[in-house]
Amino acid sequence: MNLEDFYRVIRNGHIRAQGIVDTVPDPLLVLDQNLLVESANRAFHETFDVSQDETIGKHLYELGNGQWNIPELRLLLEDVIPKSTAIIDYQVTHDFPRLGRRTMLLTAHRLYHPDNISRTLLLSIVDATERRQQEAEKDVLLGELRHRMKNFLALVQAIARQTLVEGRSGEQYRNAFLGRFNALVRAHEFAFADNRDIALQHLIERTLEPFPAHSSAVVIESGPAVVLTPGQLQPLSLILHELATNAVKYGALSAPNGQVRIHWTVETDSARRLRLWWQEVGGPPASPPVVTGFGTRLIQVAAAELGGHPELDYGPAGLKAEIIVPLGPSSEG
Amino acid sequence: MRKVVLIVEDEFLIALDLTLLLERRGWSVLGPVASVEAALRLLDNETPAVALLDVNLADGPVTLVAEALKARNVPFVMASAHSQPELYGGDVLIGAPNVGKPTDEHRLLAVLEQSLAGSV
Repeated sequence: MNLEDFYRVIRNGHIRAQGIVDTVPDPLLVLDQNLLVESANRAFHETFDVSQDETIGKHLYELGNGQWNIPELRLLLEDVIPKSTAIIDYQVTHDFPRLGRRTMLLTAHRLYHPDNISRTLLLSIVDATERRQQEAEKDVLLGELRHRMKNFLALVQAIARQTLVEGRSGEQYRNAFLGRFNALVRAHEFAFADNRDIALQHLIERTLEPFPAHSSAVVIESGPAVVLTPGQLQPLSLILHELATNAVKYGALSAPNGQVRIHWTVETDSARRLRLWWQEVGGPPASPPVVTGFGTRLIQVAAAELGGHPELDYGPAGLKAEIIVPLGPSSEG
Repeated sequence: MRKVVLIVEDEFLIALDLTLLLERRGWSVLGPVASVEAALRLLDNETPAVALLDVNLADGPVTLVAEALKARNVPFVMASAHSQPELYGGDVLIGAPNVGKPTDEHRLLAVLEQSLAGSV
């Protein structure tokens, strides 16, 4: 090989090396042993808005008005790097004059030359500010999700613990528990539906879907349109479920020709409020429960949660319940 | 000391569960109340032996309630889904036992009894 060939090989090698440096999508610097810039790729020039002339041959700490003269980076390059061949994703957060506060991930590789005279350092700089921000946001979201899940589990635990066990078979307990569980699940589904505007009529229909023994056993008379807030879904769903369960056990839905009629009005005279009536006919006469069970307590606290109160009228014709719910002024009526 | 527990919890179904559970085990329940405001109003007139607190309430964190309890030397127990309730309710919650949410019945009863015994 003559000198000219040898030169060509070196030149080709250099062009290839520069090609590789330019192809890397993240900012990359090639530094000599004194931290002078031998080469910088396009991504470096674009990201940090500096020209070739401002970069090549300059000391790293002088670049861009000294914006890389960062104590953490100096420590890395002067103390850490000489003792190891590579540093990967070393995080530096710094206020950059043109870019503002950024979080950079630095990866440095020392290249040993075979002749061991000069040493080259490859330094890649990845701006991870947005990635870190997204990760932090994701952590917050996951924390919120975990909290909601635990809360929902606590609701399930509450109905599992409070559903009556005494005098029941395992199957009866299971059915009673699952009935309440499904009412919770439906309310939860509504609360997290894509379309957040859940109409009262829709909630009533869905909650009472499992109950009618024959086509006219449950009659829902359409009233004025009422859009429910997320906070109203769960208490209303649980109240309707408890009333229906009681109707099946003791009330109108326990008789072949019994019927439940539901209707409502919206009062607007002083403050807007919903009056919802549940009326049982054609079944056995209703009498107040001897002991206040969980179901009755549930109806009371759920109604209180809605800011209203339940009127339960146990008459000879059947149970008549009236639930009053204050409505916000703005929802469409 | 009389077994009177104040329950501060804004999820009505969980509040009902804790109330019925503790009443069955011989506790008298003050409340349950769902807000800081209601809890403070109640504490103006009555002093429980111990309190069971959720962290995030309808009108904000439970911090002011915890401070009012501390001022009255009433021990409190957290029932929170957060593993570190003090991150949400402040330093006044540091050191208070947390029975968690969902809440294990045996642990809840044991911790309440301990708090009651420790406060005498």
